[in-house]
Amino acid sequence: MKILVSFKSVPDPNDVTIAGAAVSTPKSVINPFDEIAIEEALRIRERGEATEIVGVTIGAPAVDEQIRAALAMGVDCAIRIDDSRALDPYAVARILSAVVQKEAPHVVIMGKQAVDDDSNQVGQMLAGLLGWPQATFVSKIEFLDNKTRARCTRETDAGLEVVEVNLPAIITTDLRLNEPRYVSLPGLIKARRKPIEALTCDQLGVTVRPLTTVLSIARPPKRAAGTRVESVEELITKLKQEAKVL
Amino acid sequence: MVCACLTAPPRACRVAVYRVYRVTPAACGSGVAEAVRDGTSGSQADGELNGMDFAWSDQQRELLDAVGRFASQQLNYNVIENDRDSVFNHDAWKKCGSFGIQGLPVPAEYGGLGMDPLTTVAALERLGYACKDNGLLFSINAHLWTAVTPLVYNGSEAQKKKYLPGLCNGTIIGGNAMSEPNSGSDAFSLTTTAVKKGSRYIINGSKIFVTNGPIADLLVVFATVDKTRGPDGISAFLVEKDSPGMNVARKLEKMGVRTSPMAEVFFENCEVPEENLLGNEGGGAFLFTRSMTWERGCILASAVGSMQRLLETCIRYANERKQGGQSIGKYQLVASKIVDMKVRVESSRHMLYHYGWLSGHRKAVYLEAAMTKLHIADCWVKCCEDAIQIHGGYGYMTEYEVERELRDAVGSKLYSGTSEIQRNIIASMLGL
Amino acid sequence: MAESLILIEHDRQQVKRPSLHAIALARQLGGEYALLLLGHGLEGIAASLVSYGASAVVVADDPALAEPLADRYAKVVAEAVRKGGAKTILGTSSTFSKDVLPRAAALLDAPMVTDVVAIEEMDGSISYRRPINAGSMFATVKVEGDRRILTVRATAFEPPAANAVPCPIKRFDFDAASLPNGIQFISREERRSDRPDLTEARVVVSGGRPLKDKETFERLVGGLADALGGAIGATRAAVDAGMAPNDYQIGQTGKIVAPELYIALGISGAIQHLAGIKDSRVIVAINKDPDAPIFQMATYALVGDLYEIVPQLIESIRRA
Repeated sequence: MKILVSFKSVPDPNDVTIAGAAVSTPKSVINPFDEIAIEEALRIRERGEATEIVGVTIGAPAVDEQIRAALAMGVDCAIRIDDSRALDPYAVARILSAVVQKEAPHVVIMGKQAVDDDSNQVGQMLAGLLGWPQATFVSKIEFLDNKTRARCTRETDAGLEVVEVNLPAIITTDLRLNEPRYVSLPGLIKARRKPIEALTCDQLGVTVRPLTTVLSIARPPKRAAGTRVESVEELITKLKQEAKVL
Repeated sequence: MVCACLTAPPRACRVAVYRVYRVTPAACGSGVAEAVRDGTSGSQADGELNGMDFAWSDQQRELLDAVGRFASQQLNYNVIENDRDSVFNHDAWKKCGSFGIQGLPVPAEYGGLGMDPLTTVAALERLGYACKDNGLLFSINAHLWTAVTPLVYNGSEAQKKKYLPGLCNGTIIGGNAMSEPNSGSDAFSLTTTAVKKGSRYIINGSKIFVTNGPIADLLVVFATVDKTRGPDGISAFLVEKDSPGMNVARKLEKMGVRTSPMAEVFFENCEVPEENLLGNEGGGAFLFTRSMTWERGCILASAVGSMQRLLETCIRYANERKQGGQSIGKYQLVASKIVDMKVRVESSRHMLYHYGWLSGHRKAVYLEAAMTKLHIADCWVKCCEDAIQIHGGYGYMTEYEVERELRDAVGSKLYSGTSEIQRNIIASMLGL
Repeated sequence: MAESLILIEHDRQQVKRPSLHAIALARQLGGEYALLLLGHGLEGIAASLVSYGASAVVVADDPALAEPLADRYAKVVAEAVRKGGAKTILGTSSTFSKDVLPRAAALLDAPMVTDVVAIEEMDGSISYRRPINAGSMFATVKVEGDRRILTVRATAFEPPAANAVPCPIKRFDFDAASLPNGIQFISREERRSDRPDLTEARVVVSGGRPLKDKETFERLVGGLADALGGAIGATRAAVDAGMAPNDYQIGQTGKIVAPELYIALGISGAIQHLAGIKDSRVIVAINKDPDAPIFQMATYALVGDLYEIVPQLIESIRRA
């Protein structure tokens, strides 16, 4: 079974502190949900259910650093679609759709959302474009019937739900699917010999134009810190009389 | 020659001149004052090598960053408690093994990463910077220099294939048993004996200060096959845990690096198969000297990283702590200590990298190894003393993790040859 | 012909009230709006929707839609949009709308904007404000094209009053046999609770990792929530540790809440969690660590051991 894992390079959502010293330059990392997707693909292969894991991302050459991290985790080879424009989820989905046609995977696994954009659209849009089944916000994956179907547990607003999807399908990952492995030095060294293919949209045969434009970005007003209370009595009094919420 | 230009120097400046000091590109421009102030300029924190005539390659940089991230994310937990209770962190050891630390310099065909000496010491330095558990690092070093290295250089193919893969991924913990109650600095006066009986050697004697003793799966044990031959009788043996007649006795309580376990080990008619002779009969002294050269050069690489971390901690503290209406860093007596720390870190680093580079380029680094060890140990202890002083009362409290650094550092003047022994070595190399 | 079409969510028994908040945005955008309902056996639910000022309640009722399978629902939504001519399709952010609407957007060749909190109109063009980076920033975006899909963040819009003149209920016919079969529903957890819905409750009491285990969590967090008639929430750490089910999780990738009163027990205040509670009117934080980041945002901060404080709090509230 061939798995295509799609991942995005995002600014590190956690400030990195190394033994107490703050690192000043903002770092990029693989989107945490996509890391979970990569980890799941690796585990599926370790179980003997997959033979090839291909990674794909879209971006400028700088994202090769994240590609190497994915390769170091264990992805076999990767494609970078060379496009440094600000793309919206629909444009991303259209590009990925062309990659899927080219690579013909049995399943595509990706994070449910990117932690910088928080849109949670790409996987579903990709499934719509391809006409493939989808299983979103997945916390468990099992392959059935000689890998023609996948049974997926989904995390929804009402609790857990189980669905089965015919393959090929799109699966988007949620937090509790797994805990990704850390990159090891042997992995890092092996990664140096793994191929990264850089393709432009033209070479891929797809032309997309994002339909969404970001006009501005602003920080919301900071919520002011309140007051310290010293006891339960004081808290209740304040909630009743000051905040009038009890 | 000092090149203090504030913009990245032209290529010509970077031509091989021994000891060119170069302000790093990341520190240039608006960031330079800040980078210098917090002690990170010229350090490995931005991946640049300050002091030699070359920079890290992209691959080295990537590797060092990975080491730093791994250590800071995965190794810094429960250190205060483990130090207090003398507990070895098996989980952290395993993580290091999976990550690749225990096999850094071992050729890839035996399961290691095949790193050259310079990259190895730089990786260990970064490990020391990002990991606060000096005891864990001490155990890793003991494993690397007293068990792994002798096997790499003196092991037979069969022995290498049998033990190195496990040693490299941490599933086999190694150490050595050399010192005895009556032979420390005078190592070759050891009295543990090894007598050949049929297809086995029978070992009798007692060893002390066996680092990793309580947890080791494999010890390189030094014993003499013929006391009358003096050093030429000494031989090295690969002794597996639980060998009949081997008794790992009480754990020894130490002043520092307490998370690294140490024990006395007794050999009472301990039987070791003949295929476990490491090298030749009588080749033990040479084997020991050779691996000790590695050990001396490398064992304090992580100390350079620890010193860097301490320096940054002190700078931060000196800027934040206010007494008498100003930050204490403004007082010259405090600033002066921090300056001394900085100079010690830099000189230690340069000696370390020089040793690493030489080791990769020629065989004989006996002198450089001794000087490196002597100097770094001295610097480390002094840095730790200064750090405590700068932190005042807080420096004395275990919670602040400053006092532990000094306790960990003091041993560096004792193990792998005391500072006095290093001086003797250097003196003799100077023809005195 | 309604310009906007709003996808309403239900739980097979009644409407999920947060999904009605999208009506507020439709009203702001102006023009007529219709409500779209998919499922099976929807008479009662459809009837409950007639007074929200829509031009019609459009119902796609068929056994093939008994479960919210994304491939089927997206296809029906797309067909309803094409037949009805709507230009803007709306929904309220939920796992349901996130599952269905982006797929429908692709079928309609339309862009989608998630989690709209406000709109701005300038020179006849509309831009949408939405949170990014776990709500630490807001982006204002505009979209091109004939159609667009929007989901609203429920806490940013008021629920509408059901006081309009009743509108007609229209049946939407589609070819059920041509619906895809790629997804099969197997099962779902059925957990009914007497407590109010987390996203609608006036009071929310939330617990973090220090609550040790499921029993302690229920006893303290649940106990306080019950004393106040509130709902229970949890941090990711608490859910990961098995103390609370996933649907209690509040935060960047969980639920967004904005109650009158939010009480955080043993929660340090990771950015991802704060993203889910920022718009609460009053935040009370109880934590042993005086340096916990949540104290920078709390209206009232009580530093102490929650195991001592919470039982006292429950007792005092019950007595009052």
